[in-house]
Amino acid sequence: MSDAVLDLPSTREEAWRWADLGGLAAAAALAPVAEPTHEFLDLPGARLLFVDGVLDEGRSRLCNVRLTTLEGDDHALGRRAAGTGWSLRLDAQGVADPVQIVHVATGGENHLASEIVLADDAVAEVVETFVGAGWQNCFTRTRLGKGARLMRSVRLLQPAGFVSLREAAEIGEAASLVAVFLGAGGQGSRIDAQLVMAGEGAFVEYGGTLLTSAEQKQECAVRVNHAQPNGASRQVWRAVASDRSQVSLAAAVDVARHAQKTDGEQSLRGLLLHRTATVNLKPELEIFADDVKCAHGATVGELDNRALFYMQSRGIPKARAQAILTRAFVADALERIGDETVRAAFEADADAWLDAALQ
Amino acid sequence: MLKIENLHAEIDGKTILKGLNLSVNAGEVHAIMGPNGAGKSTLGYVLGGRPGYEVTEGSITFDGQDLLELEPHQRAAAGVFLGFQYPVEIPGVSNVQFLREALNAQRGGRGEKPLSGGEFLKLAREEAKKLDMDAEMLKRPVNVGFSGGEKKRNEMVQMGVIDPKFAILDETDSGLDIDALRIVGDGINRIMRKPDKAVLLITHYQRLLDYVKPDFVHVLADGRITRSGGAELAHQLEREGYAEVAA
Ligand SMILES: Nc1ncnc2c1ncn2[C@@H]1O[C@H](COP(=O)(O)OP(=O)(O)OP(=O)(O)O)[C@@H](O)[C@H]1O
Ligand SMILES: [Mg+2]
Repeated sequence: MSDAVLDLPSTREEAWRWADLGGLAAAAALAPVAEPTHEFLDLPGARLLFVDGVLDEGRSRLCNVRLTTLEGDDHALGRRAAGTGWSLRLDAQGVADPVQIVHVATGGENHLASEIVLADDAVAEVVETFVGAGWQNCFTRTRLGKGARLMRSVRLLQPAGFVSLREAAEIGEAASLVAVFLGAGGQGSRIDAQLVMAGEGAFVEYGGTLLTSAEQKQECAVRVNHAQPNGASRQVWRAVASDRSQVSLAAAVDVARHAQKTDGEQSLRGLLLHRTATVNLKPELEIFADDVKCAHGATVGELDNRALFYMQSRGIPKARAQAILTRAFVADALERIGDETVRAAFEADADAWLDAALQ
Repeated sequence: MLKIENLHAEIDGKTILKGLNLSVNAGEVHAIMGPNGAGKSTLGYVLGGRPGYEVTEGSITFDGQDLLELEPHQRAAAGVFLGFQYPVEIPGVSNVQFLREALNAQRGGRGEKPLSGGEFLKLAREEAKKLDMDAEMLKRPVNVGFSGGEKKRNEMVQMGVIDPKFAILDETDSGLDIDALRIVGDGINRIMRKPDKAVLLITHYQRLLDYVKPDFVHVLADGRITRSGGAELAHQLEREGYAEVAA
């Protein structure tokens, strides 16, 4: 079972610079847990419950989602996910109700592939939630046709274990992908994303909030490849690390020679709740075109002591003041979620994490 | 109401307050004047309980209780308000959220019911209006992008909403234009000039004292009160300077 871990790349390879691959084996070897309960959000549309990577049909409603055999990709994580997975395909101008997917794991390891393929001008929203234990590995291939729009929200709430996500997306002409991730559990995580701006004027917002405590490690490596002109990409990530935990974020933008008028923004910010915690940030730009606008910022800091005292002097207890300031720090990254119900749920998860971490 | 005895305090190992004595009774307004670096703001921070300001000797009692025993937020709930010389900017937190959290935390600490969102907004809007602050500013992040005068006015809106028993106002007059000075002065009188309340006004200028008439004026120099008197002392200081009057 856990020999699967061995064919992952070594940490010497640059993209895996901070990778905690030992965590995968350890997660898979954890003792199994009882199936945790998880409620779907109050939204219309498809609801898929996967237990240890297998669809629980009795508790799911597929609507326009199908189960089918899918390929992986050439990435070490993506390759492992090949097999039966879920597929959302919309025809031109198609509009689907939100698709909710809950991944529950009771232990061991599971691998699941998925695809989201939107034809021209189709619009979809997908919300994924991870709970349970063990090692969950998902590969998602996204293809957006001309003018298509996808809103994706993913939250990692597993209290323990490891979640790895491999994402490969191709964004067509004037298409838009907005993806927001929230890591607010106790698990380790690894997000690897390769986004190709394949059509002119493609738009991507890709970011989120990673919250870590205890000895937890979360990592994320995103590469946006601007292959065509007039594209815009924004990567807004906020990391909050407490205790001896660690967050590592690598965000890269590649701009091809003819991808003129590209607008690429990377905003990476880390907040240390304790001096023993670590946030590694690595923004990277490789630009071959000459008429581009790329802004990147990467800062790591602590809570502003003056603001803390100001709030306390007005009557707000210290722990609450810390929670408010931390919440304000991550707000940027969560407010991109367009669906109010989803945003409220994600914010509540972040609040719950903060309240626990700042006890 | 407030009794400070032989107060010694240091920051980063440097002694700033060196045996300060001061008594303030309910119904009184005390002004504290003094040269730059004398320790006026330090006194305010020590009263507020700012971390890093270490009291090495002496005592502070407020309404009979040992103030130094209390956490900063407990001092606020007990009725102490510190108006900052340099109000702090808090990006991402609106004035409304900040002030409502503050008020309800204080009410909770006193066993009172929290105000609902609606009740709070009404109160905050009324107070903003009285201090001639655009209610729209309540929605903005705390002090972010506010001009110097707007920040000071915002301090007074906070004081009005919180309705403290004792206020230390650290150079609330600096940065205010002529009209704002009058509005803020009137605000201090309206909110704080009551028989059961008291004010410690830290200021460099007579102007504010024309509006908020002090019962006592003290000179704080080199960490001690070196001279005390009535309202006329402020005039004398303005004419003659600290070196002459309080050497
Ligand atoms: N962290 C610190 N370490 C050492 N000295 C400090 C520190 N903070 C303040 N001081 C010093 O403490 C002294 C008193 O400062 P304080 O701000 O109380 O003066 P003040 O009377 O309010 O002056 P002003 O009228 O300019 O506002 C000053 O000499 C200042 O430089
Ligand atoms: Mg001062």
